[in-house]
Amino acid sequence: MRKVIAILPLVFTSLLVYFLTKPMGSIPALGKLLDPVVGCWASAESVNKNYNNKLKLDGLKKGVTVSFDERLVPHIKAGNDYDLYYTQGYLHAYFRLWQMDLQTRAAGGRVSEILGDKALKFDRTQRRKGMVYGAEQSLKAMEADPRSKQMLDAYTAGINAYINTLSFKTYPLEYKLAGFEPEPWTNLKSALLLKYMADDLTGYTEDIALTVLRDMLSPEEFAALYPERLHGVNPVIPHDSVKQTASLSAPAIPADSIAWAHLTATDFEVEEEGKGSNNWVLGGSRTKSGKPILCNDPHLGLNLPSLWYEVQMTAPGINVYGVSLPGSPGVIIGFNDNISWGFTNNYRDVKDFYAIQPASATTYKFAGKEQPYINRAEKISIKGKPDYYDTVKYTVQGPVMYEETFHGPGGLKKPIAVTWMAHRPSNEVLALYMLNRSGNYNEYVAAIHNFLCPAQNMIYADRHGDIALWGQGQFINKWRGQGRYVMNGADSATLWGQNIPVAENPHAHNPAQGYIASANQTVTDTTYPYWYNGYFYEFRSWRINDVLRNTRNATVEDMFALQNDVFSVLASNVLPVMLTHITPNEITDKERNYLNMLGSWDYRLMAESKAATVFQVWWANLYATLWAKRFGKIPDQLKPSPERTMQLLKEESPYLGNIKGAVVASLRNSIDSLEKLKKADRLEWYKAKNTSVKHLTKLAPFSYSDLKIGGWGNTVNAAKTDHGPSWRMVVQMGDAIEAYGVYPGGQSGNVGSKYYATFLDKWVKGEYYKLSFYTADAKPAATYTWSINPKNK
Amino acid sequence: MKQTFIVSIIIVVLGLIFSLFMSGMWMAVVLPLVIMISMQITGRRAFGTGFLGVALLWLVLILIKDVPNHHILSSRMAGLLGLPNSAMFILVNVLLGGLLGGLSGWSGAVLNKAFRK
Repeated sequence: MRKVIAILPLVFTSLLVYFLTKPMGSIPALGKLLDPVVGCWASAESVNKNYNNKLKLDGLKKGVTVSFDERLVPHIKAGNDYDLYYTQGYLHAYFRLWQMDLQTRAAGGRVSEILGDKALKFDRTQRRKGMVYGAEQSLKAMEADPRSKQMLDAYTAGINAYINTLSFKTYPLEYKLAGFEPEPWTNLKSALLLKYMADDLTGYTEDIALTVLRDMLSPEEFAALYPERLHGVNPVIPHDSVKQTASLSAPAIPADSIAWAHLTATDFEVEEEGKGSNNWVLGGSRTKSGKPILCNDPHLGLNLPSLWYEVQMTAPGINVYGVSLPGSPGVIIGFNDNISWGFTNNYRDVKDFYAIQPASATTYKFAGKEQPYINRAEKISIKGKPDYYDTVKYTVQGPVMYEETFHGPGGLKKPIAVTWMAHRPSNEVLALYMLNRSGNYNEYVAAIHNFLCPAQNMIYADRHGDIALWGQGQFINKWRGQGRYVMNGADSATLWGQNIPVAENPHAHNPAQGYIASANQTVTDTTYPYWYNGYFYEFRSWRINDVLRNTRNATVEDMFALQNDVFSVLASNVLPVMLTHITPNEITDKERNYLNMLGSWDYRLMAESKAATVFQVWWANLYATLWAKRFGKIPDQLKPSPERTMQLLKEESPYLGNIKGAVVASLRNSIDSLEKLKKADRLEWYKAKNTSVKHLTKLAPFSYSDLKIGGWGNTVNAAKTDHGPSWRMVVQMGDAIEAYGVYPGGQSGNVGSKYYATFLDKWVKGEYYKLSFYTADAKPAATYTWSINPKNK
Repeated sequence: MKQTFIVSIIIVVLGLIFSLFMSGMWMAVVLPLVIMISMQITGRRAFGTGFLGVALLWLVLILIKDVPNHHILSSRMAGLLGLPNSAMFILVNVLLGGLLGGLSGWSGAVLNKAFRK
């Protein structure tokens, strides 16, 4: 008996060690996580950390110097292209490894490996969408060009040089929390990351919902509520630009019975409402300095670690500054010695759906024949479970995304195949390679013509005084209406036709109006010869054009103000109409109190404005009420657009039914929500909307919320709850380039670093950092320096 | 009492050296075990000594990281575990080390007895 008791402490110790080193469900191995040497504490970085470093790295060709400024922005100076991208890869991995690893795994549908089978549906969606297929196609194109191949090879080698130095102790904290390990980087992972962006920016599935809506409504009604082209827009390409002529003639429109599929669905899934962005450029005629000023603020998911990583990259033939995407080589948005550029999403539809008619289990009907599917086996590894195999059938149109075994939106069971520009080979890496090195307008045009998907409005300014914008991407010469709804997949007339030559893409170069602005609005006026559709947003464009039209002698400060502008065009148009329907003696005291707040309101969604909250709540209620009868179950995103609703409201359109009744009822319905907000002391607009910058895991202690920032998706400063300006940049193209920027994050992805969210405060306040851009021969003023040399040399 | 204190200090000093190549958890298991095997000590005192030694060792190791970090990481980790502040997180963390060290010390004492028979 005593002997039995004697071994108890040994048993206890072993059990405790076992318990502490094994993950339990979603709880990580606590002993490893809390280990004071190799656990989370290894990520606690001294606030006085000396970042100076001397490195010897395998595969580097010559010496490289990295000078970090006080914001930890690296200025890389390399002797050749290979070393430049190698070092960029090493830096991205050093500061951001976990996010780039996770995002590329997500892009390729491999999240189940980490999270188990709760991510299986997500992974299957990614595979069925053809994400990996598309990345493989693009990788072929990227590796076929020696410039982009070298760029990718060097970048991958740099990342792996860093990964090879890691042990459990030095893994980013998130690996320890989620219990997985970094894996070697590949060029395919970079290609996947670019497809991830393409998916984020062109991945809409509205075609399917519109198909159902079209069958629900009469043609007149449909045209009135979902106009192909909204009236009163300020297109991206100004009216006075050179008119584009078409080298291709429009294809014949097939008969309706041939063209379209009919679907029924009971409910709808929709993706997050549009991601907006603004960019504009003023020519010298409109600026105080006489030099162009270029501005860009792409709106993307607000996450930590930030999507962006700021960098200056210098080597023979290149000296570029801007933001890069960890996971992809080069600078995405920025400027060099001579030019500056920025992107907003173009929103022309490059993803179309086809209803497939199966002929047998292995064939489908196409052009009067039976065609065999081409199968692609997708193996999905699942943590703690056996592998899952999904066979994705490819038709002549593309992968069958939805079918009986994988339902689409609204429980759609019909097989639906997708044709998507992101499936086609394209070399965006080469576009960035050339763009980063461009010295003038012609070089910029030659560079961006390699950028095929996601299509972007690429704005441009240079030191010679040129300003320009191209609506760049690869587009298809479609017949009128093609791809607006789900098409009949059995007929060849619905297949995508010829590519429109990229040189015929919409563009403006030094237009007479002296400025160009894009904010995801309609791209062209009716003189553009090719038919297209898309998901366009007009409010920010209306505001930006209103301001810029009257801008003279602009300074960079004026541009800061415009990027942070929170004037609601919607409110300024609809609130006066709403108020005319209110009869003062028919409302309650509570209602009157809230209406009084709106009395002196200037239509600005300022952070502390309570009137802004009142309007936003009231409008949301009104919008829902107006469409409740006709579109009861349909989510807001698929109802007629707010722009169209605003127009119909002002026109007192009969399509809206009893407007006065809706206005009064919606005010009444708003009071409850407003009272609740008031009680919780959340009536101020920034509290009511709660703009948050969340860690990619959504873990609250790693995130920031209740940020005191105004605006909404329809104001220039488009700070929504979890989306917003992801990088604000203003560049004045004088003899010396004057550049300013800020993003809501910090250079380090480490939650234990003081550089984790360093820039957030300034971003919230609408302030900017002056960017330290050094000429190629200047020696950067360095806070920290890395000297990197090849190993064994 | 004096012995407990001296042995604890030995654990801390050895631990600080071993931390260069060994994880905190393995030190918490190995150090008290090995030391107590080589001592004649009652199980209760062995537990106390192991507990104190490793708790102190972990506290020192943690403070070395936490103080220069201005509690950035520990505050965030405290949030993850639902603890009110970084001090509580450190306390929980240190107690965990102590428990490991105590059990391991007790095991050492028991093994010592077994070998002597």
